[in-house]
Amino acid sequence: MTAYLVAVGIVALIYMLLTIGLNLQYGYTGLINFGVVAFFAIGAYTSALLALHGWWLVPAFGVATVVAAIVAYPIGLLSLRLSDEYLAVVTLGFSEVVRIAIQQEEWLTKGVQGLPGIPRMFAFMGVGGDADVAILAVLVACNVAVIGLMLHLVRSPYGRLIQAIRDDEVAVEAMGKDPRRLKVQVFMLGAGLAGLAGAFYAHFITYLSPDQFLPLVTFYVWIAMIIGGTGRTTGAVAGSLLLLVFLEGSRFARDWVPGVSEVQMASVRLALVGLGLVLFTLYRPQGLMGSRR
Amino acid sequence: MTITPVDVVNLLINGSIDGLLIALPTLALTLVMGIARFPNAATGDYMTVSAYAGIGVQALGGASILLAGLGAVAAGAAISIVFYLWVFRALRGRAPVASLVASIGVAFFARSMLTLFVGHDQHTFSVPLVRAWNFGGIRVLPTDLYVAAVALLVMLLLFAMLHMTPIGRQMRALADNPDLARACGIRSGRVLLALWATVGALCALGGMMFGIKAVVSPELGWELLIPAFAAMIVGGIGSPIGAVAGAVLLGIASELSVPFVGPSYKIAVAFALLLLVLLLRPRGLFGKPIVAR
Amino acid sequence: MSAPGRVRASRNHAGVLLAASGVNKHFGGFKVLDDVSFEVGAGRLVGIVGTNGAGKSTLFAVVSGRLDSDAGSVTFAGDDITRLDPVRRARLGLGRTFQVPREFAHLTVRENFLVAAHCEYGETLRSVFGGWRRVDREQRALRERADGWIEFLGLMHVAGEPAGSLSGGQKKLLELGRMLMTEPRCILLDEPFAGVNPVLVEQISQCIRDLNATRGIAFVVIEHHLTALKALVQHLYVMDRGRVIADGDPASVLAQPRVLEAYMGGVI
Repeated sequence: MTAYLVAVGIVALIYMLLTIGLNLQYGYTGLINFGVVAFFAIGAYTSALLALHGWWLVPAFGVATVVAAIVAYPIGLLSLRLSDEYLAVVTLGFSEVVRIAIQQEEWLTKGVQGLPGIPRMFAFMGVGGDADVAILAVLVACNVAVIGLMLHLVRSPYGRLIQAIRDDEVAVEAMGKDPRRLKVQVFMLGAGLAGLAGAFYAHFITYLSPDQFLPLVTFYVWIAMIIGGTGRTTGAVAGSLLLLVFLEGSRFARDWVPGVSEVQMASVRLALVGLGLVLFTLYRPQGLMGSRR
Repeated sequence: MTITPVDVVNLLINGSIDGLLIALPTLALTLVMGIARFPNAATGDYMTVSAYAGIGVQALGGASILLAGLGAVAAGAAISIVFYLWVFRALRGRAPVASLVASIGVAFFARSMLTLFVGHDQHTFSVPLVRAWNFGGIRVLPTDLYVAAVALLVMLLLFAMLHMTPIGRQMRALADNPDLARACGIRSGRVLLALWATVGALCALGGMMFGIKAVVSPELGWELLIPAFAAMIVGGIGSPIGAVAGAVLLGIASELSVPFVGPSYKIAVAFALLLLVLLLRPRGLFGKPIVAR
Repeated sequence: MSAPGRVRASRNHAGVLLAASGVNKHFGGFKVLDDVSFEVGAGRLVGIVGTNGAGKSTLFAVVSGRLDSDAGSVTFAGDDITRLDPVRRARLGLGRTFQVPREFAHLTVRENFLVAAHCEYGETLRSVFGGWRRVDREQRALRERADGWIEFLGLMHVAGEPAGSLSGGQKKLLELGRMLMTEPRCILLDEPFAGVNPVLVEQISQCIRDLNATRGIAFVVIEHHLTALKALVQHLYVMDRGRVIADGDPASVLAQPRVLEAYMGGVI
C-alpha cells in the first residue's frame, strides 16, 4: 500500500512541476501554452539519451532542463508576434510536430518501439521500496524549492510586471516598459520546468515512447491548473494533487464497476477532462483569467 | 533519389485532392473564426463523429452512400448546434481564449463519447471498388476523383449560399462588422444557428470524404486540425476563397514534400508553412490586413 | 491636496514640447486624419475637441505610437519620434491615459502604482534569484513615492484593493497616478471626465492644474465635456471629420460659427 502511495506521490509531484510551470506562463503572465507536453518530452528524451550514454543523472537533468528552455526560445519569440488564440494553436501544433519527430527519428529515439532500460534514480538502492522513497524525497525538495521561488517571484517587482503584462500589455507599453524580454524569459522558465519534470519522469518510468506524450497530457496540466485556481502557485499545487486523485481514482473505479475495460476507462477520463474544461470555462471564469481586452 | 515528371504529376494530383478535402474543415474553421472569432478546436471531432454516423447509417440502411452522407450531415449539424447552444453561445461576450479552451473540451468530450459508445475500431465505407486509372504512370483513383468532386460541389453550394441567399449575406455582414449588422436589424441569433449548422454540415462532409478515401478512425478529425488551421491562416482568416486556396496549396506542398521527408511529416510541413505565413504575411493570401498588436 | 515633491515654476517660455505636423491616416478608403497639425508648448494645457469620429483618438494613437501615420511627423522635445514605438516614446516622457481605463485589474491599486515606476534592477530576472537587498532598497524608495501620489489622488482608502474593483472615476485617477510615477513631461489624457461624477470631474481638473503648476507637466486633453475643458486649458483645437478646423483660446474658439456648425447634431 505504502509503495503504491509513494509511486502515486511521485507522479503527482512530477505533474506539480508541470502545473507550476504552466501557471507561471499562463496564470502569471498570460501566455497560452498548449504545447506543455512538447517540453516535457524534450526533457525526458534528452536526459534519458544522455544517461544511456553514460552521463550521471544530475548533469543529465541539468542539460535536459536547459535544452527544453532553449527550444522554448524561438517559440517565445513567436509568442511576441501572435495573439492568444494563435499562440495556443501554434504551440499545440508544435507539440504534435515534436511528437512526430520523436516517432520518426528512430535512429535517435527508437521511435515507436520506445526507449527501454533508462537508468533509474537511486538505482543503487534497488527498484521500488527505499529507492522510491528517495525519489519522492528528492521530488518533494525540488517542488518545495520551486514553489518557494515562485512565491518569491510573484511578490517581486519582476513578478508584478509580468502580471501587469497579463492584465494589460498595451498599458505596460504606455508606461515605457517593453514586455517582450519578460515574455520570452517566462516562456523559457516554464519550459525548463517542464523539461525538468520530463527528466524525473524518464528516470522513474525507465521507458519512453512517443505515445506517452500526446496532447492529452498538456490538457491534464491545464485542467489541473484551472481546477486549482489559475494565477496562484498554491492553486497549481492543489490542482496537481486533485488531478492525481482523479487519474488514480479512475483506475480504482474500474475495480468497483464491473465490465469496464481499461480502454473504456480511458474514454471516461477523456470525457471528464473535456467536460471539466467546458464547465470550468462556463461557470468558473476566474479559473481562466483571460483578462486581456 | 530521382523524381520523374510522372511522379510530380502524381504528387500534384494527390495533393490537390487532399487539399480539396481539407478545404471542407478549413472552411468550417474560417467561418467560425470570421463570425465567432475563435479557432474551433472541436472542428476535427465534429468530422469524426459525423463520419461514424455515416458508417452507422450505411450499416443499418443498406449500402447507399448518399443516405450515409445525409446521416452524417444530420449528425454533424446536430452536434454542432448542440454545442453552440450549450457552450459557445454562453461564451460570446468573453475573450476568444475562453471559447478556444472550451472547444478543446468539446473536442475531447465528443471523441470520448464516441469511443465509449461506439468503440475504437476503424471502419471503412463500402464503396464500389474500382481499379485505378493509369495514364502512362499517372495514377488516378476514381474514388478520389469522386470525393474531390463532392468536395468541390459542396464548396460551390457554400459560396452560392454565402453570396446569393439572404442568410448567407447576413452571415457575411455579421463577419464584417457585427455592430453595424445588428444595427441594421440582422438577428444574430438566427444567423448564428445557421452558421453552426453549416459548420457541422461542412465537417460532416469533410469527415465522410476522408472516410471514403481512407478509413474512419477516432483520430481522423483531430489529426486534421493543425493542417486545417494552417490552411486557414495561409489562405487568410475569414475568407472562404482563402480557405480553399490555402487548403489546396497546403495539400500540394505537403504532398510534394513526401519524397524528401516522408509521408509522416506532412503535418510538420503544414506547420512550417503556417509559421512562415504568420511571420511574413500574417493576413495570408486573401485575408484582411491585421491591425498592429 | 497638493502635489508632493519639489515645487517648480511652470515653464511657459516658448519651447515647443510636443508637435504633430501634417499627419495623415487612411483606414481602407476612409481618411481619418487629414493634414492634422498641432503644438504643445512645454508646461502648457491644451485641449482637443470634436464630434465623435472626428479623429481625436486616432490622433492620440498616432502621437503615442500605437498607430503609424501614412504621412506627417511627430516631434517631442525637439526629437523626431515618428518612427519610435510606444515604449520608447513613453520612456522619453510622453505619457498617455486611455479612453476606457486600462488598469491592471488583478493587481492592487498600490501595485499598479509601483509597477509603473522604473526599476533598474528589480525588473530583471536576475533579481529574482539574488541581490534581494538591493531590490528591497529600490522598492522602499518607490513605495514612498507611490504612497505620495496615492494620497494626492485621494485613493489611499482603496490602496490595497484590486484595481478591477474601483469605480470608473477612480480608475481614471489611477491611470493618471500610474502615469505620474513615470515622471512624464507631457501627458495625453483621453476623455478623463467621461462617465465621471461632477465632484470627481472637479477633483481631476484640480489635480491637472496642480500638476501643471507645480511640476510643469504639459497636458493634452481630449474631451467632450466642454464646460470643464474650457475652464482647464489654455489653448483649444477643434477637429471635424479628420481636420483641424479651429484653434486658439477656448472662449473665442467655441464662439466661432464654423465650430458651432460642426457641433450641430454632434454630441457635446
